[in-house]
Amino acid sequence: MSSLLRNQKVRNALLQLLYVGSIAALVLAGVAIARQNLAEQGITSGFDFLSKSTGWDVNFSLLPATANDPYWWFFLIGIINTLFLGSVGLMLATIVGTIVGLARTSSNELARLLGRTYVDIFRNIPLILQVFFWYAVITHLPTPRSAYEAWGMLLTSRGLYVPVPNVGGPAMTLAIFALIAAIALPVWLGRTSRLSQPIGERLAIQLAGAAAALAGAAIILAIGRLPDLPLVDFPALQGLNLKGGLRIPPEFSALAIAIAIYGGSYIAEIVRGGFKAVGKGQMEAALSLGLSPWRVFTLVRLPLALRAMLPILANQYVWLIKATTMGIAVGFTDFFMIVALTINHSGQTLEAIGILMAGFLTINLSLAAVFNRINKAIALKGNQLRG
Amino acid sequence: MNSTQSPGAAVRIENLDKYYGSFHALRKINLSVERGERIVVCGPSGSGKSTMIRCINRLEQHNGGRITVLGTELNDDVGNIDGIRREVGMVFQHFNLFPHMTVLENCMLAPMIVRKQPRAEAEATARRYLEKVRIPEQAMKFPGQLSGGQQQRVAIARALCMQPQIMLFDEPTSALDPEMIAEVLDVMVTLASEGMTMICVTHEMGFARRVADRVIFMDGGEIVEEAPPEEFFTSSRNERTRQFLSQVLGH
Repeated sequence: MSSLLRNQKVRNALLQLLYVGSIAALVLAGVAIARQNLAEQGITSGFDFLSKSTGWDVNFSLLPATANDPYWWFFLIGIINTLFLGSVGLMLATIVGTIVGLARTSSNELARLLGRTYVDIFRNIPLILQVFFWYAVITHLPTPRSAYEAWGMLLTSRGLYVPVPNVGGPAMTLAIFALIAAIALPVWLGRTSRLSQPIGERLAIQLAGAAAALAGAAIILAIGRLPDLPLVDFPALQGLNLKGGLRIPPEFSALAIAIAIYGGSYIAEIVRGGFKAVGKGQMEAALSLGLSPWRVFTLVRLPLALRAMLPILANQYVWLIKATTMGIAVGFTDFFMIVALTINHSGQTLEAIGILMAGFLTINLSLAAVFNRINKAIALKGNQLRG
Repeated sequence: MNSTQSPGAAVRIENLDKYYGSFHALRKINLSVERGERIVVCGPSGSGKSTMIRCINRLEQHNGGRITVLGTELNDDVGNIDGIRREVGMVFQHFNLFPHMTVLENCMLAPMIVRKQPRAEAEATARRYLEKVRIPEQAMKFPGQLSGGQQQRVAIARALCMQPQIMLFDEPTSALDPEMIAEVLDVMVTLASEGMTMICVTHEMGFARRVADRVIFMDGGEIVEEAPPEEFFTSSRNERTRQFLSQVLGH
């Protein structure tokens, strides 16, 4: 027996067993205590409440929503709102970050100074303050009657009204997928044709892919068009209010702007770091071959910088997705706010928080998985040490 | 640029001055390299050898004097700079291959984009030069999967694919293990025997003795001595040159 205990493998197995056993005991004890407390307070646990109607409404939804809809539908609305805010925020933050980051690596002293000032200011003010600031700015915009107008869009204190196509729901969803394909297809085609095609032909194939997907989107929109209505629904003043179009509420805009500006300052630093990581030698080699500065940038500097940026960028994206929970501060019905309201109205705290955690885990783990795949696919092959 | 017909020297450097801030890196350099001539530039580190050859394709901007390459003056004119870079290949100490492209793509990139060669032609040229540097079987690999010596030979092939009239070598063997130095030098010797105009910054005195038409010794940003190899190695007049040679050849 004592010789068995001195065996390294046996010891390791026993330690593992002890470790797993104590965690299981902790979890079981927690569940038992929670059940007892809930029973004492007369709260029935379980997920039956998901199919009951909520009795309350949301202020922004991309899906049809009424107070009669069940909780599970509202959770779905919340997740979609979070994803919508997240993707708009991330895209804007990436654009801002790229511009500021490039300014910071520029050889122009003024651009560098502006970039540094931007990062210093917006990185050091808490996100929630920035959300409140932009919310205050937007809610002080003019009333619908004196709205700012540009390209058919109306900007007012009640939100941004944008024209939308008069197209049925399913066709609209399909068209959105086609638009996503128009972005994803060139990337995929670029990868698969990498070894077999020269750069010029590769670009042509990529453009053809994007054009096909765009044409597909146009055809879907034309087929799914609602009868007897103009193709595009423009917002317009009717009485004291605005009718038509899609209303982007001030809460959403404030959050998207704040995430873009705050996230942009972090992404700017990632972009700067990525470009700094590219060896000067590769760029000199490209220049010495007679490539123009623009070609050196697009064919050598940017592809190498992207590889250095991507892992840190993925981290930042996951962080920014979680930052969308700021929505509750200004009353945007994102996933987190829907969960908070559910807890207030139904009392199903544990279940709702479980769903919230599972939802965010799913979103962020999927995002991380996608980035890991991309990272692996474009990773530099072999040993990058010289000599 | 109509360089193939233009007469005279391949490279003519007159009164070249180069400053880094207040540091005077090159002092009134004068050098003329004829077509087909093989020049070896040597000297202690910090003597300005690399700076000088980097001025020839304007990886460094000179502050005074004139550089004329294949009859075209190297000045702020972007057209001139591009034209000269097309005709002047360069090989670096650290190879500087593009790590995200295969060996073949490294070699095809510039001919296709700068020379607008069709793909098939660029690939044929690339494979021919990879054969010449004796690594045709590595065409589909990435630089990171090759040894240092193989990478440097790819770098030479990449430069040759542009079919340059002049080749600059900036310490091409300084980052290599001894057995790899030989394989790179072999390629350079072959290139020299085919009549390529070459300017090589190197400490490989055996290579200089075998290949060079002229050896140039630099120190403190100046050309101290300029002589054919036999004369340079056996009867150099200059004290600094003799000291340098005793250090390089002494071991």
